[in-house]
Amino acid sequence: MHDVTMSALHHALRGLSARQRTIADNIANLETPEFLAGRVDFESSLSAAVQAGDPGAAEISTSRSMAATGVNGNNVNLDQETLTLIETDLRYQMTSQAVSNKFGLLRTAIKGGA
Amino acid sequence: MPIGPVAGVSSAAFTPLATLAETASTRGAASTQPSGFGDAVIGALDDLSAAHNTADALATRAATGQLADVHDYTIAATEASLATELTVAVRNKAVEAFTSIMNMPL
Amino acid sequence: MATFPVLSTMANGLSVFRTWMDAVGDNLANLNTVRRTDEAAFQARFVVAEAVDYGNAATPGIGSGSRVAGVAFGSAEGRLVHDPEHPLADEDGMVRLPDIDMATQMTQLIQAQRGYQANLAVVDRARDAYLAALQIGK
Repeated sequence: MHDVTMSALHHALRGLSARQRTIADNIANLETPEFLAGRVDFESSLSAAVQAGDPGAAEISTSRSMAATGVNGNNVNLDQETLTLIETDLRYQMTSQAVSNKFGLLRTAIKGGA
Repeated sequence: MPIGPVAGVSSAAFTPLATLAETASTRGAASTQPSGFGDAVIGALDDLSAAHNTADALATRAATGQLADVHDYTIAATEASLATELTVAVRNKAVEAFTSIMNMPL
Repeated sequence: MATFPVLSTMANGLSVFRTWMDAVGDNLANLNTVRRTDEAAFQARFVVAEAVDYGNAATPGIGSGSRVAGVAFGSAEGRLVHDPEHPLADEDGMVRLPDIDMATQMTQLIQAQRGYQANLAVVDRARDAYLAALQIGK
C-alpha cells in the first residue's frame, strides 16, 4: 500500500492543497496594499524525488511573486489566480480519484480471493 | 511382480524429525528476522494496529480542528480499513486451511 | 475552521469586502449631507486592508487571508456651496458639503463587489475539492 505511486499521489495532494490555500490567501488580499501574491511549487521537487525513487523526500516550497505591482504595491492578478484555482481544483479532484482507484484495486484483490 | 523390501535408502538421505524440530526452534529464538507463519501473523497484526492508531490520531486532530489537509485523514482511514480486510481475509484462509487439514481422514 | 483552512481564509476576506461595500454605501448615502460652515463636513470613509499573516505555525509560508486594519477618513474641509435658502446656511449663504465624488465611489463599489464575488467563488471551488478528498476510499 505504500508503493512509489501512492506516495507520489499523496505528496501531490499535499502540494495542490497548499497551492489552493495560497490562492485563497491571494484572493482574500486582492486589495491589500503592499501585498505580494504567494506562489507554491511542489512539482519540481516531486519529479526529482520520484526519479530518485523516494517520493517521501519531496518538498513543498512557498515563495512570493515578483510580478509588477499596481499603484498600491499589490500584485495579485485576479484572472490568473482564478484560472490557476480552477486548474488546481481539477487536478486535486483527479488525484483524489486516482488514490481512490488504487485503493479500489487493492480491495478487489483482497476480496477477490474470498 | 513381487514387491521387494525397500532397500537402498540410506539414513544420510533423510533428516530425522527430531533434528528438524531443533532447527525450527533455534530459528524462532533468533527473532531478528520474521520466520515462521506465527511471526508473520504477529508482524501483520502490529502493522494493522499501527495503521488504526494513525487513522485514530488524524481523526482526533480533524475533530479538534487541527488537521489542515482532510485527505491525510481519508487516506489513513482507507489504509486502516484495507489492512483490516486483508488481515481478516488471511485469517479466514488460515482457518479454512487448518480446518481442511484437521478434517482429513487419517 | 482550521480543518478546512480555505473556508476561514475566505471568511476573513469576505468580511473585508463587505466592510468596504458598507463604507462606500455610507459615502454615497451622505453625498449631499449638508452641514453648517462652522462644523466639519461629512468625511468619506476609506477601508484599509491588511494581510492577517504571511504564514503561521499550522501553515508555514501561507497566509490566512486579509482583515480590516482600520478606517481612514477623507477631507473634513469638504466644499463650500452657496445655498442661501438652506436652513443651515450661514450669514454669507454658504453651507458645507462633503468632498465625495460619486464617480469615484461607484468605481470603488464595483471593485469591492468584484472582490466579494471572487472570494465567494473560491469558497465554492474549495468545497468541491474538500468533497473529493472526503470521497477517497468510498
